[in-house]
Parts: sequence; C-alpha cells; structure tokens
Amino acid sequence: MYLSTIIETVSAWAAQEPKIYALAIGLIGAAIISAVINIGAMAVVWLERKFLGDIQARFGPNRVGSRWGLLQLGADAIKLFTKEDSIPRGADKPVYVWAPIIASITTMLVAAAIPFGALRIDGKDYPLVVANMDISAFYVEAALSIMTIAVFMAGFSSNNKYSMLGAFRGIARMIAYEVPMGVCVIAVALMAHSLNLVEIVESQTLWYAFAQPLGFIIFTIALVTDLGRIPFDQSEAEEEIIAGYTTEYGGIRWGLLYFQEYINMLLGSILLVLLFLGGWNGPSIPVITVLSPMVWFLMKVLIVLIFLIWVRGSLVRFRIDQVTDLGWKWMLPLSLVNLAWAAFVGLYFA
Amino acid sequence: MSAIQSAFPGAVLESRVESDRRLWITVDPKRLVEITQFLRDKKDFDHYSGAAGVDRINENLFEVVEILTSHGAHQVVVLMKVKVPRDKPSVRSLTGLYWNANWYEREIWEMFGINFEGHPELYPLLLPDELVGYWPWRKDFKGYPDTTTGERAIEQVGPDGYTEFKIMPHTELIKAGVLPERPKYPTFREREEAEIKSDSEMIMHMGPQHAIVPGPFLLDLLIEGERVKKAFLDVGYIHKGIEKIMENRTYLQGIVYTDRMCYLASITNNEAYCGAVERLLGITPPERAQYIRVILAELSRIQSHLLGTGEFLTLLGAATYSPFQYMIIDREDIVYLMESITGARITHTFVRFGGVRNDLPDGFADKARPILKRMRERTEEYMDLLHSDPIYTRRMRGIGVLSPGDARRLGVSGPPLRASDTPYDMRREDPILVYPDLDFKVVTRKAGDAEARVEVRLEEILESIHIIEQCLDQIPDGPIQEKLPKKIKPEPGEAYYRVEDPRGEMGIYVVSDGSEKPYRVKVRGPVYAYMQALPPLLEGAYVADVVAIAGSMDACTSEVDR
Repeated sequence: MYLSTIIETVSAWAAQEPKIYALAIGLIGAAIISAVINIGAMAVVWLERKFLGDIQARFGPNRVGSRWGLLQLGADAIKLFTKEDSIPRGADKPVYVWAPIIASITTMLVAAAIPFGALRIDGKDYPLVVANMDISAFYVEAALSIMTIAVFMAGFSSNNKYSMLGAFRGIARMIAYEVPMGVCVIAVALMAHSLNLVEIVESQTLWYAFAQPLGFIIFTIALVTDLGRIPFDQSEAEEEIIAGYTTEYGGIRWGLLYFQEYINMLLGSILLVLLFLGGWNGPSIPVITVLSPMVWFLMKVLIVLIFLIWVRGSLVRFRIDQVTDLGWKWMLPLSLVNLAWAAFVGLYFA
Repeated sequence: MSAIQSAFPGAVLESRVESDRRLWITVDPKRLVEITQFLRDKKDFDHYSGAAGVDRINENLFEVVEILTSHGAHQVVVLMKVKVPRDKPSVRSLTGLYWNANWYEREIWEMFGINFEGHPELYPLLLPDELVGYWPWRKDFKGYPDTTTGERAIEQVGPDGYTEFKIMPHTELIKAGVLPERPKYPTFREREEAEIKSDSEMIMHMGPQHAIVPGPFLLDLLIEGERVKKAFLDVGYIHKGIEKIMENRTYLQGIVYTDRMCYLASITNNEAYCGAVERLLGITPPERAQYIRVILAELSRIQSHLLGTGEFLTLLGAATYSPFQYMIIDREDIVYLMESITGARITHTFVRFGGVRNDLPDGFADKARPILKRMRERTEEYMDLLHSDPIYTRRMRGIGVLSPGDARRLGVSGPPLRASDTPYDMRREDPILVYPDLDFKVVTRKAGDAEARVEVRLEEILESIHIIEQCLDQIPDGPIQEKLPKKIKPEPGEAYYRVEDPRGEMGIYVVSDGSEKPYRVKVRGPVYAYMQALPPLLEGAYVADVVAIAGSMDACTSEVDR
C-alpha cells in the first residue's frame, strides 16, 4: 500500500534528520492544531446553543447561515472584532491586556500534547499528536492549571469588586479540584504503566471508566469544575457577581476569554475520552478502515460534549463554600481511595 | 372598644364600629403609644399593618392613621387616627412597639413633613434628596419645580463629563431667602460608609441594575470575603406617586393606576381599590360578578406564582436552568385564559365598582377545565423536580430562615409568612366576595426557609386551581353589574379594604370628601413589607445566598415605589 510506503519514507527521513523532523512537525502541527481546535470550539459553541435551545424549548440560532444558524458564530466573531476596544480607567493595564492572551496560550499549550485521534494503517494505529512526550498526561494537567493565573490576572487587574470576587472564587474552586483531578490521572497512569497519553490509550483493552469507576466519576466532576460550567460556574455567576472576572472585559478581549472556555471544554472532553473511555480504540469499520479510529474517537467526544451541555441545562449552581467543601472533604479522599484501588487492581492487570 | 375606653378614660375622642372587622377610633396624640401598647399586649394586636397620612387642609390638621390587626388571634382591624395641628406636626413614633413601623413612618415624614418623635432613622425613603423638605403630598404642594413659575430641570455637566439634569430650588425663593427648611440627615452613602470597620470589608452594589433585582432598587452589601455583614436597601428609583395622582383623577380613572402598581397582580390591585370604593358607596356586586372576580384573582395568583418561581430558579442557576422556560410556557396558557375574559394580558382594568366589565366568554368553562387539569399535573411535576434535586435543596434548605416570631415581627405577609408556620391569609381573615362559600386550605410550611417559601407558592397554585374549578361549577347566571350613577360621588367617609394579593396582604385605604375624586388613597402593599424585612434577613448570609433569599421573597419593586 502506498500509505505505508509514505510512512516508511518519512520515518526513515526522521531517523536521519531528527532535529529538522521535529521542527517541521512542530510548525505544521501548530498550524493544524490552532485551526482544528478553534474550528472545533466554534462547533462546540454552536452545538451548545442549539442543544440548550432544544432543552429550553426555544430555537437557538436560526437566522444567519441557513435555518441551522451555522454561520452565527462567524457573525459573532466579526461583531466582537469590530467592537470598540475599551480598557477601564482604573485597570492595571498590562495585566489586563495580557490576561486573555495568557488564557489563549494556555489552551494552545494543552492542545500541543493532546492526541486528536489516530489513523489506522495496516492494522496499526498512528496517533495524530504534535508533541508526543513521555509525561504528556502530567503535562496537560499542569498546563491546564495555568488557566487559574489568567483568571486571577483578569479579575485582579480589572479594578472591580465583582471581578475580584469572581477571581477569588475561581481560584478557590480550581485549587480544590486540581488536586483530586491530578490524583485520578496518577491512578490511570498506574494502571497504564505510563504517563504518555498515547500509551494510556493503547493500554486500554478494558476502558478505565470500568476498571476504576470511582476515578471516572471524580474526574468527570473535577473536569466540569475546572471548565467552570454549571453547577460549578461560581466565578462568573451572572446573578450574583454580574460576570465574575470577565465583568470589565469587552469586545474581542472578552471574546478570547469566553472562547477559551469552549476550547477548554473541547480539550477537556478529549482528555476524558483519552483517559477513561478508550480513546480511539474500537473495531475497524469496513470501507473507511483508515478513518475508523477517528470515527470512534469523535463519536465519544461528541457524547461527552452533549453530556456536559445537558448538565448545564438541568442543574442549578452550587454555592462556593459548598464547592470547596465537596472538593476537599469528599473528592480528595475518594480519589485517594481510587488510587489505592488502582494500585492493587493495576498489579493484578500487569 | 369599650375596653379601650375604660382603660384610657378621655383618650378616645371619637369612635365608630363599622362592622365586626373594622373599628375606627380617634385618639389623643399624647396617649397614642400607651394605647397602642395596650392593644398590642392585652388585645393581641400584634400586626402593624401600615400607616397613612392624610392632609386635612380645611381643618388645618394632619391625620395619621395607624392600621393595626392581629395574626390570626382575632380578625378586627383597628384604624387608629391621631390628629395633629398643621404647623409643627409631630407624633410619637411607634417603632419602639412595632419594628416594621419604621418605613411607614419614614414615608409619612418625607411626604407630609410630620415629625415622628423617637424614630431612630428618620431619613428619606422614596424621595430623592433634592425633594425632601418640600413635602410633596401635602395638599398645598405646587409641584417641583413650582409648576406655576414654569421652571424646568437644568442641564449640568459634572466633573466626570456626564450630563445630569438637576432640578434647582426656586430662584425666587433663593432671592427672597425663604427657602423651605431643609432637614439635615446623613445621606444613604454616608450612612453605609460609616459602617465599614476594617480594610477587609467592602461595599458591593447589587442594583439598581443587577440580575437579581426585579425592578430598580439598590441593595448594598457590606461584605467581608463572601460573608454579608450588613445590607442596606434603597428604594424609590421608580417612584410614580400613584397615590397622589389618584387624588387628581376621578374614582373610575383611578382603577387604571392600580393596574400599574404591580403588573403581575393587577387584578387583585383593581379588586382592592374597587372594594374600598364599593364600601364607600355601600354597594355589593351581584353574585355572578363576584364569582368572575374570584376566578380572575385566582388565575392571576397562578400566573404570578409561576413567573415568580421561574424567575427565582433562573437566579439560582443562570438563565440556562430550564424549568423557567417551561413555567413561562405554562403561564402562557393561564394568561390566555385571562386574556379571553378581559382582553388584556397584563393591565386588565377589569374590575368595576359594583361588578365587572364583561361577562365570561361563551364556553369559558370548557376551555378552562383542560388547561387547569394540565396545570395541576405540571405543578405537581415541578414540586417533584425541585424536591428531588440535591443541589437545589442544598442551596435552599435552611437559608434565610424566618422563625414564626420573626416573620410576624418583621411584618411580612403572604407566602413568606405562611412558610413560617403562620396561617395568615386575607381570604380567611377578611373574607370578601364569595370566598366564604369556597373550599380551600391555607398552605403553610414549618421551616420558614427559602425552600419552604417556594413550596408554599407552588402548592398555592394547586389550591387556586381547586378554587377556580369550584367557581366554574357553582357560578350562577345573572347580572354582572350593579346600577350606578354616571358620576360616582361617594358620601364623605373612609374605607379600608384588604385582599390577598399573590404576594400577600394588599390593603387600600380610601378617603372621600364627597367630590368626584378621592381625597386620599393609601396603598399598603405586601412587597413594601418584604423589602423592609430583607436587610436583617441577609445579615450573615453568603453572597450567593443573597440571591436565594431575595429571590424567594418574590419582590416587585414597582409596587414598593407605587
């Protein structure tokens, strides 16, 4: 098959010139990733608006771009870009300006290490990942928590009481949930004997959601918290503190902050699929054998996304002290229990 | 009555027993506090329902009418009048006896300039600071700026570049040096800033434009971290002066204004006003009209509770919490029924003196029954849904608890009071129309927290449906309107009439001087009482609870600022 010939040629070249290969992959990958995750996140926003509309017995976008409102987000983006760029008088200017940019950088850093599916060639899965590092699971966790800094920068620099309260809430919440989330990742790594996301996926003959159900539940809740979505959206609770840390932002700066949430939502769902739902593993589909892992992968991601949107449409918000209470007093001990479980069962599996 | 006379010989100057539920007495201003204390301690008058000021300019007197009644021990309403001379009017304050006398007395002070001795915080409540000292509800008030001089508001550019329209004091008065005496008091801002004790505390504004406010009012929270240490409330942003406007309109025109007091309770507001005027005229509407009025009042209760609950739920979980939309869809059916009777969706102006405007449309009962049946199923579903939601119960249970004692002391009424285990409902306490013939129960809860308040509202929807179904079965044929003269001129006198608003006790006090226009109309609204009780209730809560507590009260600013 000619596909395998290409792969052989490329890998032979990569062995010859490892530095140039890494650079080329990095550049091409960065371009592709930024395109993919941005378009992906736009699709997520569209999906959420449409699906939430259905849940709430209304239409959602249905004017711009056919009756499905497909171009609505393009229109919104144009609107945000053309809006007046205003910075509040009392704001800490550099911090205020850099907060949304740091948020964008964070998501890019996360995206770099995440495999976006795989191609199945001659019965072997080739993952689509830019930076396939040994500790990618750990790295993704660490990079995700940089988001906290962006939130605090936005809240602190705005010189606004609502923003400040929102930032406090955001940080209290994220710290309380990063820890159990990290412990869950460790439990997965223990079973997979690796911190590499690709290897974690490959080792899932039995999905880790079944091997460690407790860890799966905790990770899902921690993920929703980390994404700052209802019932854990205290940092931007509209009815209490206007828009939390984004109160003073407008135009495209606000757009960036807002869009990060959806990129994070997409990346978070992918992470959940990779760690617990078997990634792209699945039987080959005839005719499109090459794409069959992609099909399985995207299907799982879509289901997770719909689940997240559904949660948003059907729950009310926690109070911030209840969130931290739940995080420290329940999630952390339970995640440790799960770690112990993973250690024993992991031994048995190995 | 005789008990008062024997206890305080010579103190009662005048008295009139209107019925077994209304007692009008005029007492000596010097002995007002003693008599009130006697009534409160010995005669169970534990509910201070409100107070009204009346400017009797012809007799050169001010009247202050204190409305006292009881939370269920008996059903007598005492309207106790005190007459004071017009120059240097001063009355002893009742705030020492009834906590909730505070706002009513502040309002009378700012509107009539009647001083209340011993009032702890005699600051303006509804009026802007520029207007205080002009006493706008006195009969000799000429408008501000004086409408006879043709002055208008003056445009001023402030130091921050914003243009403000300021009403300046009359130039002639400044020249002549006879400016009215401006009372001295600390402004709202100064009062709240005086409470900041340390650097870790700050004041956070909620309103006048904020997601939690159902209309513009300012709720300032003194917070330390997430804890509310003290709350300050400023109302009056949309004060419309409806009471004063109604003095300048004929009786019939006044009905239109009662609609505008609260758009969710326009039928009950109509009812309260028309009922009071009917008492003045001494007529009762025909039975069919009474049934129609009950049906409409209960329909308006259902739609108000649905909107109140739905709106409140969005406050808990952003606008994405779906039951809100479903409640609005259900409410649409009810509004459709009301529209088919009155022709309007919000401002009905349907109740008339001695009857109603139109008859029920043909086939109304057949149309209403399936809608009501569906409504009942849906309400039960909502109750189930909210009851089984763990996050919802975590947010609501034990939040903003009003003990029965506190609830009575703070003077709240309606669902919040009934949620605090006090079966106090005007339909029982002061029965009007055909309510005595109908079977319904007064919904109460023991807990007194935010969850109980919402539960009471939802269960009241079921009771209202039950009432309407009975009405549809029992409604007789007949006329819908008493014969009345074209020009309505009641005999000089006064009447006080109470109805159960969707939000609680709504009373209207009308004074007639025998002309075509009411001499004075005083509205005692339920939301006014809630709002007054809100700041003490918020102390010690979390910021997120503020939303739950304020929302569960189901406020309507429009009625506070009527």
